[in-house]
Amino acid sequence: MRRTHQKDGGGPRPPRLRPPENRVSPRAIAHWAIEYLLLWGLAFGLALGVAAWLGHAGWSGMPGWLSGRVGWLPYIVGTAGVLMVTAAPVWRYRVHRWEVSADVVYTRTGWFSREWLLVPVGRIQTVDTEQGWIERLLGLATIKVNTASHTGSSEVAGLPADVATRLAEQLAHRAHDLRDDAT
Amino acid sequence: MSVRPEAGGPAAAGRPSDAAAVAAAPRRRRLHPLTFVVGAVRELAALLAAGATGLLVGGMSTAFYFTLAGLAFGLVFHVTGWVIFTYVLHGDRIELRRVLIGRSVKSIPRDRIRSVDVSASLPQRLLGLAVVHIDAGAEGGEGTLNAVSRQEADRLRRVLLARPTADRRPPRRLLARAAPRWYLYAPLSGAYLLTPFAVAGSVLGTLYNLGDDLGLITQRRVESVGHDVAGVAPAVAVALLVVVLLAMPVMSVIVFSLFNWDFTVHERDGSILVERGVLTRRAVSLERRRLRGVELSDNPLERRAGVVRLGALITGLGDAAHRGRLLPAAPRAAAGDLAARVLGPVPGPLIAHPRAARGRRVARAVAPVAGVAAIAVLAGQPWVAYVCAAVAVLAVPLGLDRYRQLGHASDGARLTVRSGSLRRRQVVVDHGAVIGWRIRRTLFQRRLGLATLFVATGAGDGGYSATDMSESDAVAFAAAITPDWLAPFIERPAPEPPAAKDAGPGA
Repeated sequence: MRRTHQKDGGGPRPPRLRPPENRVSPRAIAHWAIEYLLLWGLAFGLALGVAAWLGHAGWSGMPGWLSGRVGWLPYIVGTAGVLMVTAAPVWRYRVHRWEVSADVVYTRTGWFSREWLLVPVGRIQTVDTEQGWIERLLGLATIKVNTASHTGSSEVAGLPADVATRLAEQLAHRAHDLRDDAT
Repeated sequence: MSVRPEAGGPAAAGRPSDAAAVAAAPRRRRLHPLTFVVGAVRELAALLAAGATGLLVGGMSTAFYFTLAGLAFGLVFHVTGWVIFTYVLHGDRIELRRVLIGRSVKSIPRDRIRSVDVSASLPQRLLGLAVVHIDAGAEGGEGTLNAVSRQEADRLRRVLLARPTADRRPPRRLLARAAPRWYLYAPLSGAYLLTPFAVAGSVLGTLYNLGDDLGLITQRRVESVGHDVAGVAPAVAVALLVVVLLAMPVMSVIVFSLFNWDFTVHERDGSILVERGVLTRRAVSLERRRLRGVELSDNPLERRAGVVRLGALITGLGDAAHRGRLLPAAPRAAAGDLAARVLGPVPGPLIAHPRAARGRRVARAVAPVAGVAAIAVLAGQPWVAYVCAAVAVLAVPLGLDRYRQLGHASDGARLTVRSGSLRRRQVVVDHGAVIGWRIRRTLFQRRLGLATLFVATGAGDGGYSATDMSESDAVAFAAAITPDWLAPFIERPAPEPPAAKDAGPGA
């Protein structure tokens, strides 16, 4: 299926969302890279172990087509891991953006699949900032905006810690002022 | 313990009194005294059975004394439980307290109470008791009064759900009542069709356990039964199968009627009162001001018969299908009528989603099975592969139907989205109940110019999706409903035509 081209021209312009104003901190790339490295390193180690164990055991229940190729497993996992560690963080950094204007929190997250999220401040119930240990090393923080609905709750990772704290405070204050029932 | 006793416990608990009287003098009340009798008797029966077994097995052995001790302990436990538990109805809250050595006081603000659910099991009904379940959503918590007298339960429900402004009680108004012939729709829903098996299974299981406890089941007997079953003539087996097949719809109608007998929906005092059931008569009060939308669901069989189930989306109450049920299985017109009465007319007609979505629905229906088939081929399991291939072919019409069922619409006050085929759901949400928008575009969706729009709402599942809308429709739909939120982020007229589907430099 081809991309459906707009039959525009004279008619009313179809509305499109512009990307949010602000990028996250470039150090977020390092954060994601370290996370992926740890995760895929672990997976690689497991794959090595499994391949060695299956190769030695000569387990008879294994179908023939698999037994000759079990040695490939670490290579497959390793390649995927290298791709993930090198490509995904940069890709994510290019996608991740956020903006707060006119009492609406507007974020864009994801990489392979992208999500645009609009949450009005008046419907916010709580605002949390969180720092994992990698984030603390890098001076980053994650801000979580929670509403009465999981679907309407957003999370922006990779903000500089001071920006995140300030933003969380502002949002919490503003939410308190605007808040009605928030459901 | 500083419990001020009331004049003649049971009588006081059972005496119907007014909301005003309660507000003026909050009194500490206890559960109905028969409650601990019910609890103790229930355990007594179990303990006596165990004691009898102990007698049979080892005479007046230690096991029997243990049983006696357990019995005494159970009685003391229930009596204590009854003594230490009190509840007080204040003007603004209800307090449930348990005071023995420690003290636990649960306070539920009355304005947070979302539903008050009164139910009674058969023994409780015989004794004129009822269990009151108070649900106050995430912020308020929940509480259970197990059990109070029937009148007290009704009074509590009235008082707890009455708003302070409502002094005199307006009469309740009938919104809908299920017609008896609707019970015949029961076999259309898969769940009730399986009830004969569930009933048979639980009966067999109980018999087996009972027999095992009494020492009637031995290895040899089990084997001989197995032999008898295996040795049954094929004709008998076929007959049995036919009987079961015939029993399925009949049983499903019976079970359905038991659960949904005289299903009525009333409106009173800004709450919607749903009552149903024979053995356990269930009454659920849903607060109208917490109603954010409704859900219409059906399956292909029900669709063909024009039958639909109606549920209410209540903030803080996730379970629209069960506790928020407004009609069990009803003709579409009746369900639409009730939806219009509680919320407003269902917007329509639905706008179909772009053709590009069709391929995606089919691909997503076929892909998992096809994947299993491919693995089976690799693994040298041709039969599995054949079966999977056949299922994959069957999945094509399913995918096509899923595409046909996609749709969205808005009428200026409510929006509606619909998806699914084997279980199709159409959700109607009030515009004011939208608390956020989420637009998701996977790599494949971006190539096809599609987007999935999620309506975030504090009721029901928390979010409902309009799958695979065209990208511009998704934004336009959201912008039409909440123009203020989207206006700052809508792209200004761009000099070049919007050819690049991936908005922005980040793409």
